[in-house]
Amino acid sequence: MALSRPRPRNTGSRARLTILLLASITLLTFGVRDVPVVRDVREGVGTVLDPVVGVVQDIGRPFANAWDGVTGYGELEEENERLRAELDEARSGAVSESDATRQLAELSRAVELPYLGDVPTVAATVVSGPRSNFSHAIEIDKGTDDGLAVNMPVVTGGGLVGRISRATGSNATVELITDPEFRVGVRVADTGALGTAEGHGRDEPLAVDTGLDPDDEVAAGAGLVTSGVDRSAYPAGIPVAEVIETRSSSGGLALELVAEPLVDVDTLSYVSVLQWEGGG
Amino acid sequence: MRQRRYRLLRGALLVLAALLLQVGVVADLRLFDAAGDLLLVLVIAIALVEGPDRGATWGFVAGIAYDLLLDTPFGLTALVYALVGFLVGAVGVSMVRPAGWWPVVIAAVAGFLATFAYAVVGNLVGIGEPLGGVPVVALVVAGWSAVLVLPVMRLARWAVGTTEPDRIAMALPGRLS
Repeated sequence: MALSRPRPRNTGSRARLTILLLASITLLTFGVRDVPVVRDVREGVGTVLDPVVGVVQDIGRPFANAWDGVTGYGELEEENERLRAELDEARSGAVSESDATRQLAELSRAVELPYLGDVPTVAATVVSGPRSNFSHAIEIDKGTDDGLAVNMPVVTGGGLVGRISRATGSNATVELITDPEFRVGVRVADTGALGTAEGHGRDEPLAVDTGLDPDDEVAAGAGLVTSGVDRSAYPAGIPVAEVIETRSSSGGLALELVAEPLVDVDTLSYVSVLQWEGGG
Repeated sequence: MRQRRYRLLRGALLVLAALLLQVGVVADLRLFDAAGDLLLVLVIAIALVEGPDRGATWGFVAGIAYDLLLDTPFGLTALVYALVGFLVGAVGVSMVRPAGWWPVVIAAVAGFLATFAYAVVGNLVGIGEPLGGVPVVALVVAGWSAVLVLPVMRLARWAVGTTEPDRIAMALPGRLS
């Protein structure tokens, strides 16, 4: 292939590539620091594009459903079996739990502690899962117009799902409990020991740093609930996870819990947003 | 000049369409809990059609567009896509003109490596993604890229294709003399 055009100098092209890389790195620096202008631009673009994305999702939903049916049929059958067994177990526990819940509500009011049952909620539909392979956020169909605000806790009947990380008028982004940047103060339900749970990525259990001595024992299966300590971003008592194992951390000086989130964040369809702006 | 303006407009529309399809449809088509990356395929296709200079530029543009709708650090996708656009374009140019199954192979390898690059750079800037699950994600992205690259190359040729040689391609030693 011969070209009569004179060969341009190499420096211009290299300069362009260098500029692009430097621009990317500069933007990345802003992005990592989450500077307000970047957040505002993202929110503005979200406000404009979210309705269009919604239309595209509606059009593509039959295709996505067919895809799920083909690729997830086996898993669905197994999950159905498991859910039936869990439902039977839950029915038997519900009777005794309702009495305990009533007593807790009365006690909480008596000592003027915020009680989870008193927090107003907004029900929302999950309109899309994570938008990329390294995102740990889902989109819901309610936003600031419905009374939502950034940092409000998001739950299901099973427990904590995450928190609102971005909200536009009609949509909101929920940072999931599995996000490696997610932190929540927790309490071991059996012992009352406090700790901080953090996400470790999709399908990975949470790691809980505690002030417990490595010789202390926390039984596998122990429940973790939000601690709701002073200025906490979450009200006390939201179920979070179940301990599956313990290990020593900080060079053997402390006990770390490994806990499985109670909510399967990959299969959410509906969530409730607690209109709680307590701390955080 | 007018031609150039139309090319830019068509390219921008193609990026927008790919973005909407990615977040609206493709992101929900999960296999082994991973989804394909249509914008990455578009960047690879443009780089194969147009060379490293325009590959890097459109990679940057597509990455910025995607970053605006993600919750990961802003600029991370732009950086990775710009690098992918440049490297894929350079490989394409070094093969004179990748034809037959070569674009498919290049797209699969590029998709695989780009996913690792994203995870590694992401970890450097603190997204804390465990690297253990990345190979599976990278394989899924590679598969999608291989399947889609040929039709997307046709679209890219229509949208941003030009007879002008890529500036970096022209500057490579031993080429286009």
